[in-house]
Amino acid sequence: MTIADRSYKVIGTRPVRPDGVEKVTGKAQYGADINLPGLIYGRVLRSPHAHAKIVSIDTSEADKMPGVLATATYEDFPLASDKVEEIGESVVNLRELSDNILASAKALYRGHAVAAVAATSTHLAEEALKKIKVTYEVLPPVLDVKDAMRPDAPLLNEHRKTKSMAGEGSDKPSNIASHVRFQAGDVEKGLAESDFVLEREFNTKMVHQGYIEPHNATASWNVDGTVTIWTSTQGTFSVRNQLAEILHMPVAKIRVIPMEIGGGFGGKLPIYLDPVAAVLSRKSGHPVKVTMNRTEVFEGSGPTSGTNIKLQLGVKDGKIHAVKGTLAYEAGAFPGSPVGAGCMTMLGPYNVPNAQLDGYDVVVNKPKTAAYRAPGAPAAAFAIEQLIDEAAKKLGTDPLQFRLNSSAEEGTHQVSGAVFPRIGARETTQAAFDSPHYKSPIEGANRGRGVASGFWFNAGLQSSVVISANTDGSVNLIEGNTDIGGSRASLAMQLAETLGLSYEDIHPTVVDTDSIGHNDVTGGSRITFASGQAVYEAGMDLRNQVVDRAAMLLDATADQLEYVDGGVQSKTDPAKKMTFKEIVSQSGRTGGPLIAKGTSAGRGVGGAFGTHIVDVEVDPETGKVEILRYTAVQDVGTAIHPSYVEGQIQGAAVQGIGWALNEEYFYDDTGRLVNSSYLDYRMPTTLDVPNIDTILVEVPNPGHPFGVRGVGEVPIVPPLAAIANAIAEATGHRFTELPMSPRRLVETLNNLG
Amino acid sequence: MAKVWIPALLRPLCDDHPHMEVAATTLKELFLALDEQCPGIYDRIVENGRVRPELAIAINGEAESFPLFEPISPNADIAIVPAIGGGA
Repeated sequence: MTIADRSYKVIGTRPVRPDGVEKVTGKAQYGADINLPGLIYGRVLRSPHAHAKIVSIDTSEADKMPGVLATATYEDFPLASDKVEEIGESVVNLRELSDNILASAKALYRGHAVAAVAATSTHLAEEALKKIKVTYEVLPPVLDVKDAMRPDAPLLNEHRKTKSMAGEGSDKPSNIASHVRFQAGDVEKGLAESDFVLEREFNTKMVHQGYIEPHNATASWNVDGTVTIWTSTQGTFSVRNQLAEILHMPVAKIRVIPMEIGGGFGGKLPIYLDPVAAVLSRKSGHPVKVTMNRTEVFEGSGPTSGTNIKLQLGVKDGKIHAVKGTLAYEAGAFPGSPVGAGCMTMLGPYNVPNAQLDGYDVVVNKPKTAAYRAPGAPAAAFAIEQLIDEAAKKLGTDPLQFRLNSSAEEGTHQVSGAVFPRIGARETTQAAFDSPHYKSPIEGANRGRGVASGFWFNAGLQSSVVISANTDGSVNLIEGNTDIGGSRASLAMQLAETLGLSYEDIHPTVVDTDSIGHNDVTGGSRITFASGQAVYEAGMDLRNQVVDRAAMLLDATADQLEYVDGGVQSKTDPAKKMTFKEIVSQSGRTGGPLIAKGTSAGRGVGGAFGTHIVDVEVDPETGKVEILRYTAVQDVGTAIHPSYVEGQIQGAAVQGIGWALNEEYFYDDTGRLVNSSYLDYRMPTTLDVPNIDTILVEVPNPGHPFGVRGVGEVPIVPPLAAIANAIAEATGHRFTELPMSPRRLVETLNNLG
Repeated sequence: MAKVWIPALLRPLCDDHPHMEVAATTLKELFLALDEQCPGIYDRIVENGRVRPELAIAINGEAESFPLFEPISPNADIAIVPAIGGGA
């Protein structure tokens, strides 16, 4: 389904990715591949306790070991300010950020980094960790969001009081770090006048993004006081800024070099190892490489929140009339869960006249959460989309038709008060309704079909690019965004379209922080959108320069000429023309190199919507849920490279399937994560899922020259609820807790709980 | 007049009105004018000469970290929302 302008020549095609050959031949350099003269190896000592006071840390025995060249603790970091700063697309408290990297007064989760060692070999560093003596005073942990909110819960921070937009919200210290409220209409009146009201409570567990490549960082502290970092990150400039704040250094003294990245999904927005490697390098005089193993990734990096959501949904005249809810999200050890986003996306696909959503950001003795694809939205959709499904069934209305009856559209006010510009919510749901999958019957015992919708905002933020024309007519595109989703290709295609050149004429390169202007993180589904704006601006600048140069060569004035189809021609005499290559090949005679820049502040963001359809079969004896067929429908604005768009949607849907059916952080009572390996933390493989069919709906975003909307996050929002709805259809049981694992299904279906 | 949607927890400053009508040509003018009707709200939104980092302003549906000098069209639709972090 396409509403976009299809007169494009490059956009909408499926060229080979520029990074493909290096990746499939093993030449691509990832962070762990770095090898430098004099390189030594760092390892991190982590707390074995989920909650403990740190009485003392003694590294003296480790320091004496031959081959150990440096140790580090929190005392090596200057005292960070207790202030909130914008870092990339998120905000962080600098003291908490520093304390998460190396703990000072307290260890707040098992796996919390406490000290580090650099030695001539990894094995020696591992042995040295055993020589570090940390004296703990073990405290009772609190591991669940509901437990943490109780007045008598153990406090992670005895000085923390609940904050809200109105200021301090509690008299006493609390694990509830903040409270947000969104209100539209009159929810009590809305519920009272509803034809019926449904009410349920939902729980989801903490889950990890599951990127294949563990975190890593290599630092080389130079004698002139500068430091170079090689790292796997979603934002080199964000790493630079955070390092500057933590180490109290000018940003100009820090150079961050992006390596290829083996997945991030939001989990590589925070920093963990970079400051540790930097300090160890400064103290040892050697470059230091620090990497996490898989257990460290699970225990010491940022998963997404476990949640508790209580909801009431009122229906009147066949439409959603009122929603009242409480959303409590685990932040992990420090505040900062995505509960605000959960509240703001929950009702995104719908026009709900009366609503009140209260969100609570709650600290628990588990790792500090990080972003994970549409952070906060999947759990919120898991709750609301199940109530919507139940409401449709109660009404005897088709569940997609019920959604269409209450669909958001241009002019709808969200629960936050923000008004929607042109969006494709209705078109997406309609496309799902009209799809071959939805029109086909589902037959057989223990089988069911479920649908669900979802919304994500997408981000703008800052981008910059530089382009330079080569004398053979090709163009170098220099950018500063880590490519995690195909942005080298999508940006090159937008530049080719702008310049009227072929995709093969554009050579994109991601460079370090010294080599390009500021770029915010690769996150928020923003790069193809915002960096695409910068590319378009640079391309138009270069076009103007090329016209000026052509004027010299064609003995004309610039206003007598126009740029058409990768060349310049006279407005009055089409025979008087030159190609782009002919013009730039003579740049040395017409004024020198042709270089242009483009910047974007990310204005014109277009939110996006998805609706998923899934058929399942449940084995009532084993509890295994087989995904029989899956179709993901999404408004993508304009699909620059449809294969990449489809890949993003398919990947997110599969992550959602894993989240729905198997994944969870499983803790024992002491706060020990007992499934911290891929053997025990069950993620889907290609053997577990069918091909994910995609339907790309293209409602162009008016805020972008090519109509781009963000793509990568929306498709993880609907799967959890769609699968729950399908299982409910197949079994007659409504599952309100994740994961819907074989064990949970067997226990529930056989009343064994 | 621009229409400003007041966050639920700040509505007590505005006599519990969910939205206010304000004449302004920039965000700063808008928040100052709003503060006259809702005393104290300016300081809840602005800190150190900029919108608090934990907040974002949605102008006609587009939520961004807009500067205080951001122009406001006469019939703008303004909402004050929490800043959002994204994933991938």
